[in-house]
Amino acid sequence: MDAGLSALADAGVATSDLDGLIACKSVQGQGNDVAVGALLGLNLPYVQSLDYGTCNFSLHLAVMAILSGMANTVLLTYGADARSRKFDFGKPMYGADMASAAGLVHIAGRAGLALQRHKAVYGTTDEQFGMLAVGQRLWAQKNPNAIFQKPLSMADYLSEPYMVDPLRRSDVTMISDGGVAIVVTTAERAQDLPNTPVYVSGIAEHAGVRGDHNPENLMRPWLIDAAAAIWDSTGLTPADIDALYIQDPTAVWSLQMLEYYGFCALGEGGPFLAEGHTLPGGDLPLNTHGGQLSESYTWGWMHVVEAVRQLRGQAGQRQLDSPQISMYCSSHGFVKAAASILSTNPGVGR
Amino acid sequence: MSSLSPLGDPLAGPYFQAAGQGRLVVQRCNACGALRWPPLAGCPDCRNRDTTWVDVAPTGTIWSFVVYHRAFQPELVGQVPYTVAMIELDDGPYMIGRLIHGEKPPTVGDRTVAEFVDADGVPCVQWRIP
Repeated sequence: MDAGLSALADAGVATSDLDGLIACKSVQGQGNDVAVGALLGLNLPYVQSLDYGTCNFSLHLAVMAILSGMANTVLLTYGADARSRKFDFGKPMYGADMASAAGLVHIAGRAGLALQRHKAVYGTTDEQFGMLAVGQRLWAQKNPNAIFQKPLSMADYLSEPYMVDPLRRSDVTMISDGGVAIVVTTAERAQDLPNTPVYVSGIAEHAGVRGDHNPENLMRPWLIDAAAAIWDSTGLTPADIDALYIQDPTAVWSLQMLEYYGFCALGEGGPFLAEGHTLPGGDLPLNTHGGQLSESYTWGWMHVVEAVRQLRGQAGQRQLDSPQISMYCSSHGFVKAAASILSTNPGVGR
Repeated sequence: MSSLSPLGDPLAGPYFQAAGQGRLVVQRCNACGALRWPPLAGCPDCRNRDTTWVDVAPTGTIWSFVVYHRAFQPELVGQVPYTVAMIELDDGPYMIGRLIHGEKPPTVGDRTVAEFVDADGVPCVQWRIP
């Protein structure tokens, strides 16, 4: 609720101006619309709850609610206290199955299978892949809000023991508490509000719900379909993106999405990362807040907050040089992909 | 048989029963012939529900693997480090299972053979690099 009230205050929107609320149930099962709505004390025309937010899915639902006319001004919320509650991320999320019976537990297991395959097929090295963890820590050191700010050199990274070989501790997010909220409204109404509006220039999703125990489930090639949809519908290309955000509960997600969204060729993620494009000063700044690897878990919601701050020029010492177009790519585990493009220019994506 | 035993599971029971007899089985669609794993109530290729469990060769290659150095559950504490692999069966489907190997680390593409073991009364399949 604190995050919701902060977002409303920042946006200059009163609770009485809201006509929509979209909450999402955290991994721990907390924070659905009924729980959040009760705290806000509001009976609104459009109230919905997603089983899985990762922000993009909540944002897309808000856009659809607004475009359909069901709501005009929607508050999106996420909140979890996984760290204080010591939530067990090693427990099978959907109940025990054949894979967890074999000991394939925690997201690091499946992500590790995908990375091991990537290394075998494309020759990706630990040094190349480690650029993600090392790079996210460089960005996090410019972010006072980041949980992990201790310097992490490549030598430090490589000297870390494997947690789930081929993944080290720094390749996987931490467990954190946190609340995040975002206000979405019509472009017309945004003109009358105090902040520089950030427009949703494009949205796309694609599901990969067909089954488990197969390469499609782990390598997630269906992410390409979400990529094709967002590039086709906006007329933009990867070269147009000034700041890139990728939900990264494990660094494997960033490796996959850099390739599938076309920022580098398929299989070339390793060499591309080694060239330093995604680091501070690079031509494709990635997760400028430190991402989930270094800033906070918060289910990838902070990626959108950071994208908005960068576009508005409010990112402090990590502020990029006048970014105009940002992109956020996320997924729901091994089964759903979503992407959004945000811009300060209302003409982008039309 | 205990009501908690997977041997009586309406969907996966036949797999455990076969493993107890040293056989590896998967589902085959009676309409289109597609083999599927893990067990599903219908065929995702042709949407037919008529299914037969059939024997497949207990051999395959490592598609990928991970080595757990951290135990994420109490019952895994005494087992680390342990290896889990996704095996591409010679007959087509993929299976995720425990991989037993010697000192030499496994590599993607290694040949593996299924072994049938008893885990506290539940027949299980694990994979070994011969």
